[in-house]
Amino acid sequence: MKTVDTRGLNCPAPLIKTKQGLNEAAPDETVQILIDNPASLSNVKRYLTDNRLPFTVREEGSLATVTVTRSEKTELTENETGYCTTEITEKKTGTRNTVVAVTSERMGSGDDELGTKLMVSFFRTLVLLEPSPAAVVFYNAGVKMAMDDSPVLDHIRELSEKGTAIYLCTTCINHFGIRDRLPAGSFSDMYQILNVLKDADHIIRP
Amino acid sequence: MTTTVNGPAGFDLLSTVETGGCSAKIPPRQLEELLQDMPLPADPRILVDIATHDDAGVYKINDETALVITTDFFPPVVSDGYEFGLIAATNSISDVYAMGGTPLVALNIMMFPSTRIPMEVYKEILRGGHDKAREAGVSIIGGHTIDDYPPKYGLAVIGTVHPGRVITNAGVREGDELILTKPLGTGIILAGHRMKMTIPSQLENAVSIMKQLNARGAELMQKYSVRGATDITGFGLAGHALKMARGSGVTVNIDMKSVPLLDCVYSLADQGCIPGAAFRNLDYTEGGTRFTSDLDYNLKMIAHDAQTSGGLLMAVAPEKSRELLKELHESGHGEAAVIGKAIRKAEADLVLQ
Repeated sequence: MKTVDTRGLNCPAPLIKTKQGLNEAAPDETVQILIDNPASLSNVKRYLTDNRLPFTVREEGSLATVTVTRSEKTELTENETGYCTTEITEKKTGTRNTVVAVTSERMGSGDDELGTKLMVSFFRTLVLLEPSPAAVVFYNAGVKMAMDDSPVLDHIRELSEKGTAIYLCTTCINHFGIRDRLPAGSFSDMYQILNVLKDADHIIRP
Repeated sequence: MTTTVNGPAGFDLLSTVETGGCSAKIPPRQLEELLQDMPLPADPRILVDIATHDDAGVYKINDETALVITTDFFPPVVSDGYEFGLIAATNSISDVYAMGGTPLVALNIMMFPSTRIPMEVYKEILRGGHDKAREAGVSIIGGHTIDDYPPKYGLAVIGTVHPGRVITNAGVREGDELILTKPLGTGIILAGHRMKMTIPSQLENAVSIMKQLNARGAELMQKYSVRGATDITGFGLAGHALKMARGSGVTVNIDMKSVPLLDCVYSLADQGCIPGAAFRNLDYTEGGTRFTSDLDYNLKMIAHDAQTSGGLLMAVAPEKSRELLKELHESGHGEAAVIGKAIRKAEADLVLQ
């Protein structure tokens, strides 16, 4: 395991060191990043999420330890020359991934009360799944599962912290008028959602 | 810290700001929330107010003249006081140009510690501000200083514009092409400089861009009947383009591969040198923006890089864009480029590809 110590450093140094560490580590080596600056922690998390690098965060007081676990599937954009290459490298994306599509507030159909219980149980179990899904997309009534009073909100947050992208359908949000009640996830349109589904190797639809 | 210090006091102003690009501005989303409950004054002479998040306020005096009023100030972005003064003044005056106006007079706004920094530095900053104001034809006729640390400087500027020729971020029309007049990436270069990841010529290049007035751009906008424009500053290209799209009721489509970049910016972003402000701006834009799936991650973050004294983003009728671009190239804006297009309002206000 490789450790990157960014304690005492101001932004953007922790992100630079994180990226350096990830580039230097062996392809399947776990990288642990120590961060004691909240702004940088949030930026590093965002960076890892956007680049689909799965990670976990442990916070003790003001110190956060971010652990990035990689498999040979994950590849980073390499910058071999270090200084000032102007050419634009195409991003290589890991291709194998699982996407969960949440389309209603219930799992399955038949009995609504049962379906609601099953959905809670589904999310409780989803956070334990290894590796975590690349993304969870919420559309139609499914977006309500991400609302501030949702019984599974904490699980959605946990997934997000582990590097799973959370996409919420903006049209659906506007339809239900719940724009102000979605504390987690990013707003997406059909194009993005369709691309996420298209790029998925497996789609789980509870 | 290795920096170029030209002033007589030899004091490095960058030593007064520790957090780099992380904390100079209130996050745009938070600011929008704070401002939404402020009552808007109702007066038919107010042509532009805060409702459309524009660069400056515009107030009609009579049928021939409207006042353009704006202010902006920030902590040091470079080591040398004189250069900081030049950049801060250029940035402040730019908001008048972005509205298509002609700047006339200004007031200094200065926060400066009376004990911790040599007072020569104060004079150097003011000298820079006055020199740039003179270049713009602006008279500085007063100001205000507060004892504060770290220092901050800028101008409150008043200009004029014909009430029928105000250029706003609400004036973009479907089909307009979008021209950006300066290369992007000053925030990333300044952060890279702090991290000692740049070489002097790259910083100098960025500084010369930040010191360049948008005067010629404003003149050309009037000549080519541009109605919609904004200048690119703290909210980044994406943030300002999003405000413009929302203000104008169109969707703005930007092709990041055609956006001019300062030397080294792409490589710095690729090494993780992405200031915190870019992440804050991303938080703001992602609610209304579609990022195409093939958008390069570094280019996406560069689109959100907070600019100091950035260029104008102008919307011009497609049949005029080639001529306008040619004139920009001939008048010191050699890197100006068409970077996108306004299209019929779609689900996303902004598309970055």
